This record gives sequence, structure tokens and C-alpha cells, in this order.
Amino acid sequence: MALRRTRKDLEAGLGEARGDIGQLHAHIAALTAQHQRDLADVRADAEASTKAVLKSAMGTLQSLAEEQQVLLDNLLKKYGDTTDVLADLMTVDHTGSQFSRRAKGISVLCGGWLGRRERAATVYDVARSAQGRIKDFDRVSVHSQVNVSLVGKAVEPVAVVLAELLDNATNYSAPGTPVEVNIQAVPTGLCFIVDDAGLGMDQETKDRAAALLSVDGPVDITGLGDPPRFGFAVCGMLAARYGFAVSVGSVSPYGGVRAVIRVPESLLAADAPAPVADAQDTASPEAPPQRLAPVPVVGPSHVVGTTSGGLPKRRRRGGPVTVVPALDAGQEGTPEPVSEVTASRLGAFARGTQLGRTTNTTEGPDNK
Amino acid sequence: MTSPGEEASVTSDFVRSYVITGGRSLPAADDLALHTLVTLAPERTPPLGAGPEVMAIWQLCAGGYLSVAEVAGHLGLPVGVARLLLTDLFEQGHLLRRAEPPRAQNVDRATLEKVLNGLQSLIG
Repeated sequence: MALRRTRKDLEAGLGEARGDIGQLHAHIAALTAQHQRDLADVRADAEASTKAVLKSAMGTLQSLAEEQQVLLDNLLKKYGDTTDVLADLMTVDHTGSQFSRRAKGISVLCGGWLGRRERAATVYDVARSAQGRIKDFDRVSVHSQVNVSLVGKAVEPVAVVLAELLDNATNYSAPGTPVEVNIQAVPTGLCFIVDDAGLGMDQETKDRAAALLSVDGPVDITGLGDPPRFGFAVCGMLAARYGFAVSVGSVSPYGGVRAVIRVPESLLAADAPAPVADAQDTASPEAPPQRLAPVPVVGPSHVVGTTSGGLPKRRRRGGPVTVVPALDAGQEGTPEPVSEVTASRLGAFARGTQLGRTTNTTEGPDNK
Repeated sequence: MTSPGEEASVTSDFVRSYVITGGRSLPAADDLALHTLVTLAPERTPPLGAGPEVMAIWQLCAGGYLSVAEVAGHLGLPVGVARLLLTDLFEQGHLLRRAEPPRAQNVDRATLEKVLNGLQSLIG
């Protein structure tokens, strides 16, 4: 009897204890969850404040880099005729461009902006601009099958993304191997295709790249490794922000990686510039350059072959030989003042007689 | 110094000059001096795959002689870079060149004074 009662007490005690344990577990779970949330909050806060600081610091660096490049633009022109100085300035410019790309990349990851180009740029120029922002730019060749321009706001982002892809391509392939950029039209817009001849990417790298390229929100910059690998994160971020797509999954024809930027039609400029092939036929929209009057070409232009005896066969001249050219189409709209016409005719006459008297005319590369 | 925001515009040259030269070394200045005149050789077609700069030179030089300095100015490129592109075209036989036209000879001071005196006597 006493035993039975003791057992009952014990069972009740056990039940109670189990209940307590359950409660404790629940409590611990709640505390752990709370802890996790707090930790995440703290991390997010830390990340946000780190990004805010970095963004502002990078903004300053971006401005300085831009300022330096504008300075260099002027210096390059100022010392353009001094070959040695020009060559040295170009190397400085090259390091400056790489520096600027890095600053822009970090800034973008921290929510900063790239700066905006006011003018549309042809896809060929976008590719060449990107090419100039990496170390081994001379390994890159650009082939464009299309002559389209990107709208101003897409110019910098696409150039930065392409530069990151080119940086990857040149870094992860043997020195000296070529890296190709092909630009092709597709039904929904156009593609920049980057092919390298490296070893390709392993599955882990591919997964990491795919994850970073499809980001939809802020990127955890502390999770990018040490040294940090910003490239894909920058690409993903900019692609999401400006509405184009980047993929790196496929294999290039050379066995390396093929990376593709697909730019939708909405980011292409409506009025495409004149195709390169036609450029020579269209009059320049800017003021036509003041040219010296063309001197009638004697010799090569009228030689159309040789006779059986080996003498040059000449074509009949089409019209009277004149030193003063008819004003070409581009200049018709703006008749020159009479005095200027007279002056230019006198000048042309003087040059013509001068040409007849001098013998230092060189024609073609043979007389170099 | 403006801080870069979405609206801050970037104005530096978009395609840097070392990309236009392809990183090649620049030709010496005396090959095509600043005042050397160049023009397009007759009946030529632009080289295949010519870049926009080469096409611009083509267009500029089609109408007559231009000096190397003017070509560089119109392209907005450093003279050395324009010179490299011109040298390429020249070596491919697309361009003709000739030395700068000789300057007008300076007349000696005595003659100028005589002319001045003559003019003064005419007007005065």
C-alpha cells in the first residue's frame, strides 16, 4: 500500500519534471531564436554601418579618380607630340583606370553610384572602355557585328560589368592567351560574349558565381573572402539595378569560360549612329574642317594598268584640271564670304605654283 | 569636387588612348611631323575591321591635305596617338603625305619700311 503510494508520487513527480524539462526546452529555443535574431540584427547593423562608411570613402576616391582622369585627358593632349612623355602618361592613365574600376566596384556593393555618362556610346566603345580598365588589356580583342549604342545611363554600368568579366577572364587563363569579346544582336537586344582559353570553372565556383549574379538585394561584403572577390557580386548588383543579365555558366569555344552580358532593347539607344561602313559617305555633322585645296594628283590615280610594253596606261582625265575644288556637299549650305574665297583661291594658286616648282613631293610609302 | 550620386556626370574620355593604340609603342615624332600634310590615296577602300578612329581619319583626309596636327585636333586625340594611326594607314599605302609647304620668305626690314613709307605718303 505504502509502496503503491510512493510509486504514484514518483510518477507524478516524473510527469512534473518532464513538464518542466519541456518548458525549459521551449524557453531555451525561444532564447536561442532571440539570440539569433539579435545577432542577425547586430550583423546587419554592423554591415550597414560598414557599408555606409565605405560608400562615403569610396565616393571620395571615385571623385578623385575621375578628377585625375580628366587631368590626364588634358595632359595627354598637351604632351601629345612628345612621344616619351605621352607613353609614360599612358601607363599612368592605365593604372588610374584600374584604380577607378576598383573604387567603383566597392562603391556599388555598398549601395553607391557609378556616375553617369550623358551621352550614348556605341557597344564597340563600351567594350573598349571596359578593356582599358583591366591590367592585361592587350590580351583582349573586341569584335562587333553590330553598330548600336547603349543609352547614357547604361554605358557605365555595362562597361564596369564587362571590365569585371574581362578581369576574371584574363586572371584565370594563362598569360598570353587571348580573350575575346564578341558583340552580337539577339532578338531581345544584344549580347556581349566574353570567351577565354583558361581551365574553366569548377562546380563550386560556378555555384558561387550563379548565386552572386542573381542577387536580389544587398550583398554581404564581409562574406566575399580575403582578399575579397568583388567581381561577380558587382556584376550581379549592377545587372539587377539596371535591368540587364549576366551569366557565366557555359564553356567557351577555347575550353575556358564563356561569360555573357545580355542587354535588353530598352537600354539600347533609339537613334543608332551611322554604321561604320557608311561613315565615309555621310557628311560630318560637326563643322567641316578647313582643308587645304586638294592638289590634282599626278600619276597613281590615273594609271590604270600597264601596256604590253611595260609603260603605264593612263586613264583619261574626267574634267578640266583645277586646283580649286568644287565645294563639297557638306559645305554648300554655308557659302564663304567673297574675301575668303578670293583668299583661298590665291592661296591655292600659290600652292599650285609652289608644287610645280618644288620636288619634295612624296607619294605613297615607296618614297618614305 | 562633386560627390558621385546617380546624377553626377562622368566626363573623362570614355575610351582611353592606350586602348586605341592597343598598347603598342608610339612612332617617333619625326616620322610624321606636326605640320606634315596627309591625304587619302586615290581609289582606296578602308581596311577591314577599321575602328571608329581610323574611319574618322578616312573621312577627314578624303577631301584634301590636312596636317597631322589638324587630324589629331579633329579626332580629339593626343597627337602621338593620331600619328600611330596615320603611320599604320601610311604603311598600308592608304595615305599620301608631303612636307609642310615652305613658309613665305621674310622680306627684309628695309623693304618693309619702304612699303610703309610709300603707304603713308599715299594715305597721309
